Amino acid sequence: MIAFRYTKTDGAEYIPHLDLLRHIDRTLRRAGIAVAYSEGFHKHPRIFLGNPLALGVRSVSEYGAIDSEFDGDFEREFNARSPAGIKCLACRRTEKNPNFAECIKACRYEAEGMPDFDTAEFMGRDSLEVTDLRGRTVDIMPRILGLSHENGRLCFTLRCGENNLRPDLFCSVICGIYGGEIKDIIKTDSFGDNIF
Amino acid sequence: MKAVDLGSLRGLLLKCEKPSRYTGGEYGAPDPGWGAGGFNFCACFPDVYEVGMSNLGIKIVAQSFEERGMCADFCFAPARDFGQGLKELGVPLYSLELKAPLNEFDMLGFSLQYELSYTNVLYMLELAGIPLTRKEREGGRYPVIAAGGPCAVNPEPLADFIDVFFIGDGESVDADVAEIYKRHGGATEEFYREISGLDGVYVPAFTDFEYDKEGGVKGMSGITRIKKALVSDLDGAIFPERFAVPNCESVHDRAVTEVMRGCYRGCRFCQAGFIYRPVRKRSVQTITRQACALISQTGYGEVSLNSLSTGDYGRLGELLHSLKANLPSEVTLALPSLRADSFEEGFAQDARKTSLTFAPEAGTQRLRNVINKDITEEEILRAAERAFDAGYSAVKLYFMLGLPTETEDDLAGICDICGKIRAIYSGKKRKKALRISVSVATFVPKPFTPFQWEPQADEETVKSRQDYLIKHLPRGVRLSWSAYFPSLLEAVFARGDRRLGRVLESAYKNGCTFDGWDNLFNEEGWRRAFDDCGISPHLYVRGRRTDEILPWDHIDVLVDKKFLAAERERAYAGKVTGSCAEGCKGCGMQRACPAAKGEL
Repeated sequence: MIAFRYTKTDGAEYIPHLDLLRHIDRTLRRAGIAVAYSEGFHKHPRIFLGNPLALGVRSVSEYGAIDSEFDGDFEREFNARSPAGIKCLACRRTEKNPNFAECIKACRYEAEGMPDFDTAEFMGRDSLEVTDLRGRTVDIMPRILGLSHENGRLCFTLRCGENNLRPDLFCSVICGIYGGEIKDIIKTDSFGDNIF
Repeated sequence: MKAVDLGSLRGLLLKCEKPSRYTGGEYGAPDPGWGAGGFNFCACFPDVYEVGMSNLGIKIVAQSFEERGMCADFCFAPARDFGQGLKELGVPLYSLELKAPLNEFDMLGFSLQYELSYTNVLYMLELAGIPLTRKEREGGRYPVIAAGGPCAVNPEPLADFIDVFFIGDGESVDADVAEIYKRHGGATEEFYREISGLDGVYVPAFTDFEYDKEGGVKGMSGITRIKKALVSDLDGAIFPERFAVPNCESVHDRAVTEVMRGCYRGCRFCQAGFIYRPVRKRSVQTITRQACALISQTGYGEVSLNSLSTGDYGRLGELLHSLKANLPSEVTLALPSLRADSFEEGFAQDARKTSLTFAPEAGTQRLRNVINKDITEEEILRAAERAFDAGYSAVKLYFMLGLPTETEDDLAGICDICGKIRAIYSGKKRKKALRISVSVATFVPKPFTPFQWEPQADEETVKSRQDYLIKHLPRGVRLSWSAYFPSLLEAVFARGDRRLGRVLESAYKNGCTFDGWDNLFNEEGWRRAFDDCGISPHLYVRGRRTDEILPWDHIDVLVDKKFLAAERERAYAGKVTGSCAEGCKGCGMQRACPAAKGEL
């Protein structure tokens, strides 16, 4: 297997997950990086991506893995043939599928256009109930792992995967309370096993 | 040039459907340098991204500018949600890669693929902040508004809005026009004078029309003969060996090669079969080279061998072998527009495909003879049987309704074919249930066809014939048909004249856009537009006298009008003319036609 970290920037943040998968598949074809196919009636290339990123959120910390014996310079070949905003930042060979969708437990983001407010006071809240995009009421406080202002940007770490909190939803909650208007959100780091 | 900042559109992009339509950055997209070669061209397609990105014509046209070192970018009609958003934000419509506002280009080139996209031309101009009509633009600094593509053979309905029409193979002349523009330092009167002398260029400002009381053309003056531009050597013609891979799935999301241009068959209803004459081909080597280049550049898993009738490519067997030998083994071939009688060779391209499409167009042999669709029922049935034996379990059949001389017998014939296909399917034990779907389009008489003088069937006739099919088709056959009013509009604009410009503008102002989309079609807006302009659509779908001046008589697609008239007589006599490949029929293009010289 080859595990790789890649970007979703420069307009690619508007490409939805399924299209993204197709673009990565085509990039690999163009680069001549052969990917093993699944068994079964509807064969598909064994490409495994981390959890879908909310549309419009940029990222320099996306992870994926492919089942491939390719032994050339993956990063160079991939980047020579990928769309503008989808670029490999690092890669490594692994024995097993790292299963990024499972193992990434939290992600750090930075947002622009957010209001100035007392982050410590906010983190002191016992609970904050919010209606998510599917209409469910959830307490988001246990899903927020860190919050601070740095260089005029709001930096925050949220749970990912199980008990996920979407960064765009979180930012609109903040704007709802303190004002401000989201100008940009970027994922800067992911945390969990197998991360590099 | 002040590019539009995507960051400022973040809120809008997140609110609208499929934002990746508007961001650019596709892999393989051209990397145009603003101002390169002293000319900025934007290929505009008046429909959404997914449709436009599948169009080969605009890629060829853009390539013709690129090869001269000029700047060429693209723009598609934004869906209504995004268009509305741009208006509210006061952001002008911008090109895909450079994000350059459209009104800063030297030329916008609209691709006219179907009549029901005309309001979208106005929609895109307005979003770009460009006055709609030539008159309003006079004296201002605006891009040259150009248009080309198949519908440009009858340019008149758009003549109020378009400065220059490219008639015929635009790639052979459009960049020449750009050079002349540069020489004149812009779109001066002298510029227009000079280009109007070129084959394939129509400047509507230099032609005037007079109309008679009955609504026909009384006369025309000024420049009254415009010959189409012709690429004589298709093999050496411009072809992009690099495609932008769309950000979101397009309607034909695959690599495309153009095997031939033109068609030998001369089906009498088919405009493409006449305006793209003569048949010109690419060689097996060239197609193979272009297909291989496209597959390795795009990463697509499928190549389409496009033409009006790929089965008539004389070396199809050789071509398929060459492609199989040279393309990666997992790449599948798509052969659209295969006629039933040429079906054998293209078989089983993709094992996952289960549906097969035929276009008999008419239900009886008699009517198929009338339209010169030279194919028999036995051929259709035999091809269906072969397909079923190869594992296909669904058939789609395309017919037309309202063809000249059509009677109830012809409709009964449609029902009959469905019954026979079903009988063949149930003749053997098969795994799946058979699905038959029948699609009936209302016949639209088009310019430059033998049926250009025919009336279009009226509403009552169309509806009663649709009803007949609803009642009489065998049970279980899925029927779809086209709504009356959009087909009427298509017929009106296909054979329309300059007076329709007012109707078009008025319909656009009534909120009509995306007229080709059933769900967005605004019949009320169109009806009101005709009423307000005091123009009856029925004036345009009437039968035309053969001695009448037709609104497109100044355009010369190099096919003899007498030939069309003779073909019409043969239609009434039920005589098949047959394929040009079997002998020249003397359509008037003999001197430019390889087939007429025996080159097949």
